[in-house]
Order: sequence, then structure tokens, then C-alpha cells
Amino acid sequence: MPPPGRWVRRDSGPVVRPYAVTGGRTEPVDGEVLDIIAVVVAMPGGDSDDDDPQRRTPEHRRILALCQRQATVADIAAGTSLPLGVVRVLLSDLILSGAVTVIRQRPAGLRPGNDVLQEILNGLRAL
Amino acid sequence: MVFAPSDHASDAGLTAHKILIAGGFGAGKTTLVSAISEVRPLLTEEPLSTASVGRDSLAGLPDKKTTTVALDFGRITISESLVLYLFGVPGQERFWFMWDELAYGALGAVVLGDVRRLDDCFPSVNYFETRELPFIVAVNCFDDAPRYDLAEIRLALDLDDDVPLVLCDARDQSSVKETLIRLVESIAAGGTSAAQGRSLSIGR
Repeated sequence: MPPPGRWVRRDSGPVVRPYAVTGGRTEPVDGEVLDIIAVVVAMPGGDSDDDDPQRRTPEHRRILALCQRQATVADIAAGTSLPLGVVRVLLSDLILSGAVTVIRQRPAGLRPGNDVLQEILNGLRAL
Repeated sequence: MVFAPSDHASDAGLTAHKILIAGGFGAGKTTLVSAISEVRPLLTEEPLSTASVGRDSLAGLPDKKTTTVALDFGRITISESLVLYLFGVPGQERFWFMWDELAYGALGAVVLGDVRRLDDCFPSVNYFETRELPFIVAVNCFDDAPRYDLAEIRLALDLDDDVPLVLCDARDQSSVKETLIRLVESIAAGGTSAAQGRSLSIGR
């Protein structure tokens, strides 16, 4: 155990319990669980929270900022350093309030077409 | 939850695919993911299950009901609209519940093996065989590990002939790249995906 006063560091993780930022909620409001690589994007004008009945937290705003470009749930979790489950709850708030929309919930198709696989192969070979 | 029509943005939208990196503890999953992609830790906060009793020390934490699990998470930008994600899946049995979610809709998986502890691969191999998710086995060539030829390793793993088996160096970008290429080629050829996704066909 590090001495008191020294443990609150960047790498010591969040000081509040993870689900404190969701108000204790561990599941999205409507029970719909976003896939880890679901693609989401902010709606035009969605960053104005004037008409949002729920108060937006700083975490909501950080997520919204990352949604200005299309991003996956995993990208947002990594980008905010928030646990995946927390990001899912907060994202579903933003989706319900119309600030964010889901572009693709699942990877399109079960097995992508050969054109997509070929594109992936070309991309890997070019690395 | 209302979703936009899925073809709404299919022309310009971002498409994401994922490949799982599995294998026993210490097989080199983290090394492999970081050799080829920018890795960022992805935190998941998981309920503590009875499976973790006796494994996670909860002394002094009587109220602790969740545990943080960090996944290795790598992102490879294939093109402006296509991104490939690598997820290192934790090998310990108590994390099995996370696998279903990670495996859902995955392109396929690389099972990373260490010839000194090949039996560590068995749970992963069984998992992907059962779920009919395409996979390859990549034997990580640790410097101090004995060398076996692939036929011997295939026999030891009781691996079907249509599952590709390769040697790789998880530290080396080009070796990891070849391994991923081999996986995607085998998916394209349909060799290990006779009925891919039958168990993954829920959702859209």
C-alpha cells in the first residue's frame, strides 16, 4: 500500500467508484446493450443541451465530444478511460435524448463480403 | 432504442470489424497486439462472480461487487471507413462470460500458443470450435522454447486439418502481420467457417 497522500495519481485510476458517474445505474435505461464496436455519432446540434430534460454530466460531455466524429463504443471507452459498462449507460442517455445516434449496432453481416475481406488484406499488407 | 437505418450511412459510414487474440496467460497476447497496433487499455467493470471467490483477494473490501478487467485493445486503420480492432481476451476461466460478447460478430480469432504449455490453448481452441468461429493457431516462438515442427504441434493440439497453424514472433510486426493475413485469407477461403456465425446469427 503506497503511503497516504501519494496514491491519487494518474495511473491509480478513478477515485470515485465507476458507476458513481452513472448515478448507480449499471444498465442502459432501455436495456439495449450497445455492441463493443457499435458505431455512433453525434447528431447535428446535439451538443446543445437546452432541451435535454436530464442534466448532462461532465462525462456525458466528454463522450459527446468524442462522438463528433464517428466512433465505436470501444474507442470512446478508451478515449475517456471510463469502463465499458459506464460508457454504455451514458451513451444510451445521449441516444435517448437524441444527441447521439447509432449508425451501426453490429458488424454489418455475419461474414463480410469478399470485397471487405480483400480490403482488410490489402490494408494489412500495406502496414 | 431507436437506431438509424443501417444502410443510412453504409456508403460513407465507418465500418468496424474485430479479431480476437486468445491464448493462455503469458502466451504473448499483449505483445502481439502492441506489435501491430496502437494499444490503449480498455477497462471493463465486471460483476464479481462466485468464480472469482478465492482468486481475487477481497480482504477488507466487503462491499466490492465488481472487479475491473483491462482488455488489450488495438486499433488498425485499414482505410478512412474501415477499422480493424484487436481484442486480447483474458484467458482465465473466470472471464469466460466476457468471451461471448467479444466473439459476437467477430471476424475470427488467433489462438496464441506457447509450445512449453500447449495445453493452455485447449480452452480457446474448444471455444472457437464449438462456436464455429474461424480461427488459426499461432505458436509464439519464444527464444528459449524448444522447437517442434508444425506437424507435431498439430498432433499435440488435435487440430483439424483445415485450421491453419503458423509459427510467429509476437514481438515482430511483420510476423504478426503475416499471422493476421493468414487468418483473413482463411476466412476468405471459407476453410474454417463452414457454418460461421450459426451461433452468432441473432441480431442484425
